[in-house]
Amino acid sequence: MLDEERALDLIYDAVDEINGQLPADARLEKSPGTVLFGDAGVLDSLALVNLLVTIEERISRAGGPTVGLLDHVATGGETSEETMPLRTLGTVAAFIVGTRKACA
Amino acid sequence: MSTRRVEVELVSDFNLEILGRYLVQDGLLPECSMRSRPFGQVYPALLGDAGAQVDFGIVWTRPEGVIPTFAAAAALQPIDIDAAMREVEAFADAVARYAQRVRFVLVIAWMSPADHRGYGMLDWRPGLGIRNLLARMNLALAERLAAHGTAFILDPSPWLQAAGPGAISRKMWFAGKVPYGNGVFQEAVPDLKAAMAGALGSARKLVVLDLDDTLWGGVVGETGWEGIRLGGHDHVGEAYVAFQQALKALGNRGVQIGIVSKNDEHVAFEAIDKHPEMRLRRSDLAGWRVNWGDKAQNLVELVEELNLGLESVVFIDDNPVERARIREAVPAVLVPDWPDDPCLYAARLMSLPCFDAPAVSEEDRARARMYAADRERRSALGQVGSVEAWLDSLGVEVRIAPLERADLARATQLFNKTNQLNLSTRRLSESELIDWASAQHRRFWTVRVRDRFGDLGLVGLISLELDGAQARVVDFILSCRAMGRRVEEAMVHVAVGSAQRAGARRVIADYSPTPRNGPCLKFLQSSGLTRTGGHRFMWCGDAPYELPGTVALVGPADHGAAYQGTEREDRSELHVASGAA
Repeated sequence: MLDEERALDLIYDAVDEINGQLPADARLEKSPGTVLFGDAGVLDSLALVNLLVTIEERISRAGGPTVGLLDHVATGGETSEETMPLRTLGTVAAFIVGTRKACA
Repeated sequence: MSTRRVEVELVSDFNLEILGRYLVQDGLLPECSMRSRPFGQVYPALLGDAGAQVDFGIVWTRPEGVIPTFAAAAALQPIDIDAAMREVEAFADAVARYAQRVRFVLVIAWMSPADHRGYGMLDWRPGLGIRNLLARMNLALAERLAAHGTAFILDPSPWLQAAGPGAISRKMWFAGKVPYGNGVFQEAVPDLKAAMAGALGSARKLVVLDLDDTLWGGVVGETGWEGIRLGGHDHVGEAYVAFQQALKALGNRGVQIGIVSKNDEHVAFEAIDKHPEMRLRRSDLAGWRVNWGDKAQNLVELVEELNLGLESVVFIDDNPVERARIREAVPAVLVPDWPDDPCLYAARLMSLPCFDAPAVSEEDRARARMYAADRERRSALGQVGSVEAWLDSLGVEVRIAPLERADLARATQLFNKTNQLNLSTRRLSESELIDWASAQHRRFWTVRVRDRFGDLGLVGLISLELDGAQARVVDFILSCRAMGRRVEEAMVHVAVGSAQRAGARRVIADYSPTPRNGPCLKFLQSSGLTRTGGHRFMWCGDAPYELPGTVALVGPADHGAAYQGTEREDRSELHVASGAA
């Protein structure tokens, strides 16, 4: 059962993987409020793409839905910084769970 | 290991930035700082002259990215094998040229994606299959680069296997031109760091083992040697035999084996000497401390006895408490986590990425025998009345010879691995050594030592730089296993004699202190050379520096001919070496 808590755990595993590439002062905090996009985002484009793909893979391997996080960004799925679904780690988890429900 | 940060340059036809980030952040030594070439510009990067020299170049390419004929083969087009081989030769020559600009090159062997089935059941057919072609390309690359002592090829297939189903990342390829998942790069880092450490002379040289439940199953003190689990119709016993065989295999590449165990020595050696399934015997051991004392203290004493540094040591013990004790008390020693299941011991040992060395010499392969001979020497010391009488009884022969082509790998190894008796502790690759030693005003000799207990092989190096009335000893290097037999004085005798024959009236040696080369200073202080302030030592005038009476100096003709009046001949031999290398 993939709820938001489980989705966040998988997202944090992906964050660990990406943090291994980053200097200590640039690592992402494992918190629902950690911002990915916008002025407060700290990842460069390669690390951001890598994080989103890693999250997708971890969700898939855990039996979750196929979530097109990268597709969502590439197709301009976000609207504004405040409302975009991939703005923070927490909203990414909600987006994944919402995708699962839509597929169900 | 030196804590100096090494400069690394990445050359690739794909985006290798993620590997660079892991190399910088992973915490393993050596620490790296990274320079990335723009990906997709492999040949300009390999053939260009721009940029500062770096310590390591990592060349990781996809075969379809640099060998056009392979790209055609991957598209299942008919191809000309010879054309592919010519392209491989051109690529190898570009890498060889690159190897002249960087200290070391690590080339990742080519691999085909696991999810490309090629021609399926025909894929190993010569002239058709992709896998057949790829194997031939890798072999041709390895053979073409074999002559370049500073270029090494690493096999990436274990990285892909270990990374599992996420090894190939199609999405990262399409989104960022990164063909592999993070797991592949994470698995690559320990191998790359091991190669770097090995190239820099920091490979581990000694494995120190516990006995009970490590080298065999059970407690020998309780069961006697007949009761331990080793071999036989017992999968656990078989696993311990496999572990001992793996240890012997390490010995064949120059890694020494020592024992530190809490046991009664005579009980432990009953098992080692008598058990029919033992693969490691007393003669395979460089040394041991078997008693009821503190293991950390015993370990330190054993390493001192073997004239090694603690950073050369790996400690293996099934007991996590003992492992924690060593980690805390002797942090320079590598103490790997160890599996509970003996069936995993051999695989764990062989997967440790800490023994990589840039060359395996005959001296490496014979090292266990040399240490056994050294134990006999020490035993002889206890049987004679004085050190001088002991030295006399050894029958030490020192052979001096100009640097030859066949000695380059061993000489480079001595440059990069010898720490204690090393005047300047400069580190040189083969090509750097050839360049340096090829100058007309320089002299370079190798030093071989043997005595009645055995042949220690090539264990020392001396070099001189001549400048009119003054000559400077630049390199004065002697392996720790030959120290303390007055070989050092014989080497000074050679250097001073050669300098005087070349017209020098003042021979200087500038000691460059490091945390490890205190024994060199200690020798210089007792050598009879005059200390002229700071770290400079000097021999002035025409008086000879006497050869110790316990040492026989022998050479290609007689003991003088190795250096007396043959400097020009020495140069010509070196030029032969230079030209061929």
